[in-house]
Amino acid sequence: MTAPIVRSQVDNSRMELARAVLRVRLSQMLINERLKAKAFKVPVHLALGHEAIAVAVSAAMADGDSLYLTHRNIHYNIARAASLAAEVAELRLDPAGLAGGALGSMNMNNPARGIAYTSSILGNSLCVAAGAALAETVLDSGAVPFVITGDGALEEGVFYESLELAASVAAPMVVVAENNGWSLATRIEERRCPIRLDRLAAAFDLPYRRLAGNDVAAYAAELAGLRRLSQEKRRPVVVEAEVSTLGDWLMPHPDFPGGKHINYHHGAAPEVSPSDWPVIREDDGDPVFALGHRFDPDWLRSQARDLLAALEGELA
Amino acid sequence: MTYIGHLNALIRAKVSATPRLVAYGQNITAGSCLSGLTRGLEPGPGGRVINTPNVENTLVGAGFGMALRGVDSIYFMKQQDFLLLGLDHLVNTWNIVRRMEPRASFTVVAIIVDSGFEGPQSSLNNFNDFCSMSHMPGYAISNARDAELVIGRHLVAPGCRMIGLSQRLFGTPELAADLTAETDADGDILRYADGPAATIVACNLAFPQALAAWRHFHDEGLAASLFSVPAMLPRSWDFILADVARSGHLVVIDDSKSENRNSDRLMLEAYKSMRSVRITSLSRDFDPAMLSPNRDALDVDPAALVAWRRQAP
Repeated sequence: MTAPIVRSQVDNSRMELARAVLRVRLSQMLINERLKAKAFKVPVHLALGHEAIAVAVSAAMADGDSLYLTHRNIHYNIARAASLAAEVAELRLDPAGLAGGALGSMNMNNPARGIAYTSSILGNSLCVAAGAALAETVLDSGAVPFVITGDGALEEGVFYESLELAASVAAPMVVVAENNGWSLATRIEERRCPIRLDRLAAAFDLPYRRLAGNDVAAYAAELAGLRRLSQEKRRPVVVEAEVSTLGDWLMPHPDFPGGKHINYHHGAAPEVSPSDWPVIREDDGDPVFALGHRFDPDWLRSQARDLLAALEGELA
Repeated sequence: MTYIGHLNALIRAKVSATPRLVAYGQNITAGSCLSGLTRGLEPGPGGRVINTPNVENTLVGAGFGMALRGVDSIYFMKQQDFLLLGLDHLVNTWNIVRRMEPRASFTVVAIIVDSGFEGPQSSLNNFNDFCSMSHMPGYAISNARDAELVIGRHLVAPGCRMIGLSQRLFGTPELAADLTAETDADGDILRYADGPAATIVACNLAFPQALAAWRHFHDEGLAASLFSVPAMLPRSWDFILADVARSGHLVVIDDSKSENRNSDRLMLEAYKSMRSVRITSLSRDFDPAMLSPNRDALDVDPAALVAWRRQAP
């Protein structure tokens, strides 16, 4: 384990990345409180535990880059947006929302901040991003599309097709597969044979990296390098990010004396609540816990406390 | 000049004159170049012409992606059947993209296999259904004037649409080259002839049958109006309805296999607005025989139509 680093030893960018992870976590926790209160009619897919990869992607994006998301997009939208209030208003289908209340949750985008397109259809964003990548070659813009997908979409033909098209037309694109091991209520090993994404990328002669451990600064640096590589080589790159979707819980159930395990797909995480130390799980699967390896705990707590107060104020 | 030769010339001119346009599709620069449709395509300044892999679903989604980034594109598709693989994008992706009102253009140009001998998996002649499901504009081209209107006005224009071509007509001499036509304000409907005896309307790819009927009316001393409706979802039927109000007799000819024909909508609009109108409709109901190789043509007897007109009270 890396020894904690006190505030004076950390450069500003690392501190900002840590603050961003806390902000995305706390924002989701505040939205979760509203989910508990059934404040939204639209289905909301929280991404507790996915904060590090979202913040790192946002940090790695250069001006002009675009981002293509899935139904579970909340972490990226929060990471890219300045206003949590606009995000929450969008979930309420309020005209003051990020998209004027017209998109809701599963299609929420934010073109002004580079989120060009979000799809609720499994795998749909991949080929839209491939088209955007082709467009960048025509525009000679130097911009690189980032597209986020999950381990469930790896099973769709469009994943394979999109890599094939982007590679065939020499288009730059960063493909990030968030692997949380679940598709709806089914674990990977319950539904399919293993898919070795590294070997799939190799079949197309594409660079592949696996990110694990939730070190947001290391993720950001790695993604920035991969973005550069993709741009220079005019090739897609494939990233597999190990994530743990946190907030699962045991629901009282007559058939399960110890409670039925719920790995929630959408809706509230009833056992998660905001606090000035918003760790959900005490291991590196929790990006907030992982911050403790690099930052002074007191500094992290003070940052979380200040952010929570500011976010609550914004939503008041 | 043949139907396909005329289309090829119009498309080549449009593509090479449009800067930064991406023309793409399977085999568009190889082999027969889609039976000559895309032969000789040259990109405009900064554009690309790309022979793509066989990834139809992705190719439809990619067109929307290019539109989002402000790049015009045309996806040429050998058979409209392949578009079934891209329905998710025609419906779901378009639902998102359309609300952004893209300034860029994305057009799918597909060949409708209406010649019938390719077998059960190529029996699709249901352009109406694609457009209805997606609420996306679509235009069928069956003659020279339609081609000039649709290629000139709709092939590259802000937004997204589909264009359907008739495989049956590929090698035939282009129709209506000797006729002039006027169009409605939206560029959805054309009128080739103006006469009081009847209003003859061709929908989908039935212009050859409608033209033959109109000529027979003419030979029998009946001056009729002749319309073509390239648009699958016309924004207004008023151009035709005004003519029907004068003639009182509407002849609708539609060779689509759809259960959701735009010609049915035209007849409904005519009945709603005119109590005394007489209407005859020539179309096809589903028949399992359509699912085996066959000549797949809508047969029209012009003499019977003239007799119907003369039976008028």
